[in-house]
Amino acid sequence: MDRREPSLFIRLFALMSLVLAFGAAVLMTAAWYSARQAADQAYDRLLLGAAYQIADAIQIQDGQPEIELPVSAFELLALSDRDRIFYRVLDPAGHTMTGYERLDDPAAETATPVRAIVENAEFDGENVRVARVVRRFDDPQMRGDAIVIVAQTIEARRALARELTLRSFILVGAMGAIAIGGTIFAVRRALAPIGRLETAIRQRDPLDLTLVDVSTPRELAPFVAEINGFIKRLRGRVELMQQFIADAAHQLRTPLAALEAQTDLLSNDDVSPSTVKHLDRVRARTRQLSRLTNQLLSHAMVAHRERAVANSQVDLTELTRRALDEAIPDTLERDILVTLHAPPEPLIVSGDPVNLAEAVKNILDNAVRHGAPARITVRLLKKSNRAVIEVEDDGPGIPPEQWPRVVQRFGAPSSDGKGSGLGLSIAAEVLEAHGGALFFIEKGSFGFVVVMSLADEERKVA
Amino acid sequence: MTGFATRLGFALALMFAAITGAPAQTMTRFPAITTQVDTLSIHAATDLYALEPLIRDFQQLSPGTMVEIVEYVTNDLFSTAGGACDDGGALGDVFLSSSVDQLVKLANDGCAQRIEGADLARAPRWANWRDEVFGFTFEPIVMVYNRDGMSEAEVPRTHLELAELLRRDADRYRGRVGTYDVRLSGIGYLLAFNDARQTTTTYGRLLESLGRAQVVVRCCTSQILDEVAAGRLLIGYNLLGSYAYERVRRGQPIGIVMPADYTLVLSRGAMVPIRAPNPGLATRFVNYLLSERGQSVGRSQSFFFGLDGSAPAGIEGPDVVTSGIARPIVVGPTLLAVQDAARRKRFLEDWSQSVIQTAP
Repeated sequence: MDRREPSLFIRLFALMSLVLAFGAAVLMTAAWYSARQAADQAYDRLLLGAAYQIADAIQIQDGQPEIELPVSAFELLALSDRDRIFYRVLDPAGHTMTGYERLDDPAAETATPVRAIVENAEFDGENVRVARVVRRFDDPQMRGDAIVIVAQTIEARRALARELTLRSFILVGAMGAIAIGGTIFAVRRALAPIGRLETAIRQRDPLDLTLVDVSTPRELAPFVAEINGFIKRLRGRVELMQQFIADAAHQLRTPLAALEAQTDLLSNDDVSPSTVKHLDRVRARTRQLSRLTNQLLSHAMVAHRERAVANSQVDLTELTRRALDEAIPDTLERDILVTLHAPPEPLIVSGDPVNLAEAVKNILDNAVRHGAPARITVRLLKKSNRAVIEVEDDGPGIPPEQWPRVVQRFGAPSSDGKGSGLGLSIAAEVLEAHGGALFFIEKGSFGFVVVMSLADEERKVA
Repeated sequence: MTGFATRLGFALALMFAAITGAPAQTMTRFPAITTQVDTLSIHAATDLYALEPLIRDFQQLSPGTMVEIVEYVTNDLFSTAGGACDDGGALGDVFLSSSVDQLVKLANDGCAQRIEGADLARAPRWANWRDEVFGFTFEPIVMVYNRDGMSEAEVPRTHLELAELLRRDADRYRGRVGTYDVRLSGIGYLLAFNDARQTTTTYGRLLESLGRAQVVVRCCTSQILDEVAAGRLLIGYNLLGSYAYERVRRGQPIGIVMPADYTLVLSRGAMVPIRAPNPGLATRFVNYLLSERGQSVGRSQSFFFGLDGSAPAGIEGPDVVTSGIARPIVVGPTLLAVQDAARRKRFLEDWSQSVIQTAP
């Protein structure tokens, strides 16, 4: 796994570049070849034209062939002004009338006579292009073919071919650049869904076990399906685990209740003072265990209901009132003044009544257990479009540096052994599931306040 | 017309010229200013007086160079150089010839080497072929007359006027008009060839008139100029303007006319042969000829006309460049047609017949 695979973009880009480079090479070769052909064609016409002009200047005078080399033929050839010119004129008898004797007849070995030939040859150690034309004489005194051979070096042809090739190269280069640019654009566009999918997966909450729902091209569908399959399996596992915890907690409750009852039955009177101390500890630990079991059960229920239960209209006032009844036990060792301030009209939110009640109960329980020596005030408010439940107590409160931790599961196991560390986290979870938030107001002139705000996105717990 | 006898006669004349022409070479040495380190051998068909200032000035730039100049008539230089090229021998480092067609022919036959240099670009496009043959002068082809023998009003201003004058006043000018012997002089042939191409009718009439006037033919410009200056000849036709102007500067009674119908312009050619012993030095010399410095020496002391066509004072006739009558002889492959052996033979036959053999 150490060797990193190159990115898809690099792969596509490299492959396309390779294909383009190969294509460009083929095109350039073709351009070079056709440029040479075009240059040859252009200059061959001049060469042939000059040869015909010279052939035309042959005359039979007094039975003798005469040639007055036309200047125009040379002017034609001088259009490629840097090239050397070689020529030879042969009379019908095969004698050289004028020109370069060493210039060979390119058609000397050809059996069938042809009127005009242009071909490559070598003369004087230089590459030349040779044209050969034939002029037929049927004069009474002179019969046969006069032959004109004109050769020219190929500098101008090469120069023209170079120029044409260069132009083609520029065109191919420009096309290549456009193609590369287009490839970059197209590849980026084509790979965009991968980026979107990546973003969607990266931004997911680690606890989010809902299925990935991103529109993807067909090619990515199996990938997404596989992710979703994995999520489903994971979700099954998690549910199984929660179920197990719920079952375990449930199974533990009955023996625990019995244990609690049995310890309560033990009279302090029957034992020695040192044993009384131990007995009290046993009672306290048993209560703590029982409470943890209840909260585990509660948490499992909350988690289950979050997924399984549809929202309904809930009157928060009514819900809070009932939670207060359940959360503040009558058998409390100390007197606590509990006040509820509620608006006259019902405070309706959309949510799961059971879970919301569980959240409120946990906050109240927390206040009773850790906070309030004497006073708990619950206020129900409607602030703009938010429903807010404030629970204020006169206890020591929670120092702000612990706020982020106390809303996590077992984030702040209480040092006094009375709390399980699950209460606030259950409340926070429920509120989050309802699009709300749990936060705190530091103990000041009033008491420490826990605020449950529903449908308020602005002041979440950090 | 073109009978067998005349052709034979012509061939004999040509052979005679070749035999007597060959030894007519002289060598002049310009010793190095400081200790001699190298030798530049120039084979030239150019008058020594014109070359000397250029050589001396070049030696200022290259003081360790001994320069030797071998002088030829154009045709001799051509045949000697062609022979050396064919045989694989070396003949000098630089060829200078006013007969550029011969240099082009040599270059076409692979006897020249391509040279490079910053100053070579100063040659006009029409005066550079393949970076092998360079024209380094601008020389209008003029008519001259003896100022004592002719009044300015009588002097012909165009080719046609010359033909008319010779026809009208045949007795006066008989034997008193001079021009090149095109059989001996490559430059004479090149000029006559170009005359023939410029205007076929005028050329025919001129040739006829020259023949009737029993024109005096000479190998070289200087000989005709001597005779015009001496008054033996009244008119010299188709002469190099630079040589004629040099006579005017020396105070000889010579008038120069640039023909107003058209004025041929020749650019004296320079070429480095393929097997030059000192190609680097030769390249430097050709660069020098075209350089600012070489051109200014040439304009003030040797050839008097600038490569741009600027003319010195005292030339009669319109400014050839601005008036558009200049016909530069383009240094290029077209000149190969001039050098075609068959064509040359025919041309010389026609010329000889008209000019030499037309009895009065």
